[in-house]
Parts: sequence; structure tokens; C-alpha cells
Amino acid sequence: MSIMKETKEPVPAGKPGVEEASAGTLELKDVSYVYSEGTAYEIRALDHISLTMPSGQFIGIIGHTGSGKSTLIQHLNALIRPTEGQVLYNGQDIWADDFDRKELRGQVGLVFQYPEHQLFENDVLSDVCFGPMNQGLSREEAEEQAKKALLQVGFKEKNFKKSPFELSGGQKKRVAIAGVLAMNPRVLVLDEPTAGLDPKGRDEILDQIAGLHEERGITIVLVSHSMEDMARYASRLIVMDHGKVAFDDVPKEVFSHYKELEPMGLAAPQITYIMQTLKERGLPVDERVTTLPEARDSILAALRTRGGAL
Amino acid sequence: MIRDITLGQYYPSGSVLHRLDPRTKFIGTLIFIVSVFLFRRVPGYAVATLFLGAMIVISRVPVKFIFKGLKAIFVILLFTAAFNILLTPGETVLWKWKFLTVTKEGLVLAARMAVRLVYLVIGSSLMTLTTTPNQLTDGLERLLRPLNRIHVPVHEISMMMSIALRFIPILLEETDKIMKAQIARGADFEKGNIIQKAKNMVPLLVPLFISAFRRANDLAMAMEARCYHGGDHRTQMKPLKYSRLDVIAYVILAAYLAVAILFRVLGL
Ligand SMILES: Nc1ncnc2c1ncn2[C@@H]1O[C@H](COP(=O)(O)OP(=O)(O)OP(=O)(O)O)[C@@H](O)[C@H]1O
Ligand SMILES: [Mg+2]
Repeated sequence: MSIMKETKEPVPAGKPGVEEASAGTLELKDVSYVYSEGTAYEIRALDHISLTMPSGQFIGIIGHTGSGKSTLIQHLNALIRPTEGQVLYNGQDIWADDFDRKELRGQVGLVFQYPEHQLFENDVLSDVCFGPMNQGLSREEAEEQAKKALLQVGFKEKNFKKSPFELSGGQKKRVAIAGVLAMNPRVLVLDEPTAGLDPKGRDEILDQIAGLHEERGITIVLVSHSMEDMARYASRLIVMDHGKVAFDDVPKEVFSHYKELEPMGLAAPQITYIMQTLKERGLPVDERVTTLPEARDSILAALRTRGGAL
Repeated sequence: MIRDITLGQYYPSGSVLHRLDPRTKFIGTLIFIVSVFLFRRVPGYAVATLFLGAMIVISRVPVKFIFKGLKAIFVILLFTAAFNILLTPGETVLWKWKFLTVTKEGLVLAARMAVRLVYLVIGSSLMTLTTTPNQLTDGLERLLRPLNRIHVPVHEISMMMSIALRFIPILLEETDKIMKAQIARGADFEKGNIIQKAKNMVPLLVPLFISAFRRANDLAMAMEARCYHGGDHRTQMKPLKYSRLDVIAYVILAAYLAVAILFRVLGL
């Protein structure tokens, strides 16, 4: 029975104790973005998006290839300017003339889809120092931040002096994430940080990100293609479809619309399908659970109440 | 931001012009350019205008794109016009100030040069708007093939050209991505003096070169893995073939050229 109650949990609004971090709210107001405007190749990548991202949430963004996820997150730290609409940070228009966009980029850290795009220094530590030093820190202070960030993403100290180009894909990703984390952002935006990683590396990185969310209380915006990951980590799930927001809710609610997700080239976690089928076959399970342990408990409980053989 | 600079500004509209063989279009453009220099007076330019106008209508490319190319030569156009107007000596002087004179001959010459320049740009834009860069290099390769006899490596040159063309948009996109990634880490590509600016480019150039070399290497490997070797006896997947459309086009072009030559002889 306890499981049934959990399904209606509200979207958590920030952790207690980081109340003052309510500074850090991002808001998109009716944002549209058109690539190559005025040419034959015009593409409307975002179509009148309105969203609020309060401080402290763990937000997942999912959507088929080309649905506009990467375009959306580049608006969050003023890398691209909306064709129409406004982006607000703490209520201020980030494209106002007197807004300090460099400062914003320190507060809203963005890790891109392919990290090898940004590594350039001779050794890992210097590379991670690049961000903090751009913020005006001295080399010593920057190194301190960099070391902390590298350890936080699970990068081994013995590799600090290696060239970033000798690293494996997973290690490069960690360095890239650390490079942004070292700037002490309030909001960390990650574009498919786990693409091209093995399952173990994927879980490690995601666990570390979830840990950062817990420890530092920073907002996480995570773009991913994996519904399973979303079910496990996100407290709020935004589904993009052709440049529009199709769903924006707690993951459980979103997954309950799994029939509508399929035409968008998406699917609910596999466990949802198993539970649905069990329910249709007459086992009174909770079909809205989204993770494996929850499913196990629900099935066991259902079997017990039915008094069937275990 | 950077991808807005489209090179080889192909505009797909599937018109008759698009379906013509690139060789036809190449030769057609050449004939048009020659004709623009053959014509000397208003009746001649009326014919050229008519011809160009008809081609623009047939191409179904929006006029806006066709005139875009003119923006780039606007300054040159202004200069040549000014020099021609002010510095051409002539009989009928209209206005004079120190060494600057405006003569009737000067005005005529300026107008003629301006028209020629504009038509030249519009004519070649029309070709690049209706032909993909790859088709163009294919066409050029075929047209230059006779040079093989005198040991010019035509195939290799055109291969390099098409690879270079293919990579320009990719590299532009990559530059855009790396720039964004570094800006997100607080890099600033605009502030400071020249030396500082050059230094600031390091975080952009290093990853860019690395990725360019990696791409070049990958491409070379992929070509080798498929046993590529250029030169003799190499066939094409889509060999260029003239169709009936091209025959008609050549007939029209020949007629047009004949008219141009005739006008020249008649002094029109
Ligand atoms: N630099 C660009 N120039 C032109 N069009 C672009 C550019 N970047 C993206 N697009 C187009 O905008 C649309 C949205 O792209 P976007 O990269 O935001 O998708 P995405 O959801 O991140 O996809 P993926 O899951 O593949 O990363 C696509 O149709 C894409 O083709
Ligand atoms: Mg993307």
C-alpha cells in the first residue's frame, strides 16, 4: 500500500538549508529559436517554450534526436540568443545590455555532448583550471578548486598530470565535467554526459552527479536518452518533441502516458511495460513504479495479497 | 552563429536548371559572361537582361538569394563607378574640378562596367545556387579531363577540391561547437589587444586542429579500407550523362551566343 501513496509525490522544490540558493532560478518565457534564419535551410528548433527551473531540482530532459534538447540548454547560459522570447535568471533578462553574461556562465555551468571538444591544455589539471582562472582566481586558488572538482567526479589523482589526449573517453568526460564544476556553478547542465560509456562508467558518473546534487544542493539539468536513468535520478522530467514541451511532470506521471510517448520515438522504462502486462493479466501490481526495486516490492506484495504460491 | 556563412550556397528547388548537367551550366555561365562583354549598347544589354531574367524565373530560386551575392561586391562596384566617372578623359565635359572631370564618355563607361560586374556576379551566383559543390567539381573534372594528356593530375585535383569543399561546413560547425564550449568555461574571444587575442585563440585552435587531423586521418583510413585509388580506369557511381534537356540547353546557348556575336558585329 505504501507504494501507492508515493506515486503522488509533488515536485520537490529545493533542499532545505539551501533556501538562499533560491537565487539561481532560470526561466524561459515563450522562447523560440530558428537556425539559419532567412536561408533555404531554416529550422525552427524551439517553438514557443515556457519553462521555470527553480533552484535545487534534478531535472531530466528527454526527447528524440533533433527535438531541440541541445538548443534548449544552450539558452540557459546565454550561448545562443533566442530568436523570440526571453530568458530570465533570478528574474533578470539575461540579454539585457547591462547583464553580465560572463558571470552567468560561471553560475550556470554547461557540459557539452562531446567533451573532447574543449580539452586543450598540456595536462589535465591545467585544463580544469581554465574555467576558474577565467573567473579571475589565481593559479593556486584555481588548482585547489580543480583538484576538488576532479576528485568529486571520481578522477584519480595519479592522472592529474597526464595529457588530456591520452585519456579514455570516460576519463575525458570526467575531466570535462570537472572543468565546469571547478567554476562552482549553482546550476549544472549536462548534455548526454554518458553517451558512449560502458554501463559501469555510466552509473558511476550519474551517481557522482546525483551526489553533487545532494552535497552541494546545486540544480542539475540532465539531457539523456535513457528513460531508466531518468526514472532513477530525475525528480522532474521534461519531454521534448519537435521543439515543443510535450510533458513536464514527475517521471512517474510522464511514464503513465507511455502510449503517447511511443509516437515521439520514446518509450517508458522497460519495467513499466512489464508491470502493465502483469496488471492486464490480473496481478494487482502498481503499474506506475519505475525502478527495479520498486517493481520487485510491488510484485511481491501483490503475490502475497493474492495468496498465490511464491 | 558561424554556420550562417554558407559556402556553395546551393538552393534546392528542383527546377529544370537544377536538373541540367553541371557541365552545361558551367559552359552556359561562361557563354553568358562572354556575351556580357560582347554587348556594348542598350539593345545588347536588353537581350542579356532578358536572358538572365528568364533563367532566374526558371531556376525558381527566390530573388532575395540571387541578389545576396551583390552585397559582397557593393564596395568594389562603388569604387569602379567612381573612378570611371571621375577619371575618364573625354570630349563632352559635363563638370570639372581640379583634376577631376565628369565626361559623357566616363558616365557611359561607368554604367557599362557596373552592368557587366553585376551581371557577372548574378550569372555565377545562379550557377552556384543551382549546382551543388560536388556536382561542380565533377563537372569541372570532366571538362578538364583532356589536360590529363599533358600529365595534369585532373582527378586528384578535383578529389582534393571536393574533399576540401565537403570539410568546410564541418570545420565551421566544429569551430562553433568548440567556441561555445570554451565560452561556457568563461573564455573571451573578443577582449584585449592583438597579442592577448591571439593567446585567447589557443583554447579554440588546439582542439580544432586535433579534430581536423583526426578527421583527415579517419577519412584516409576509410578510403584505404575501401581500396581507393584514383586516376585511370576509375568509374563513377553517378557518371555525368547529358540528357535531352542538356541538348536543348546547348541549342539555346548556341543561339544566344550567335545573337551576341551578331550584335557585336553590328555594334549594338
Ligand atoms: N548549428 C546548427 N545549424 C543548423 N541547424 C541546427 C544546428 N544545430 C541543430 N540544428 C537543428 O536543430 C534541431 C534541433 O537540434 P538539437 O541539436 O537541439 O537536437 P537534440 O535534441 O539535441 O538532438 P540529439 O539528441 O541528437 O542531440 C535539429 O533539427 C537540428 O538539425
Ligand atoms: Mg543534442
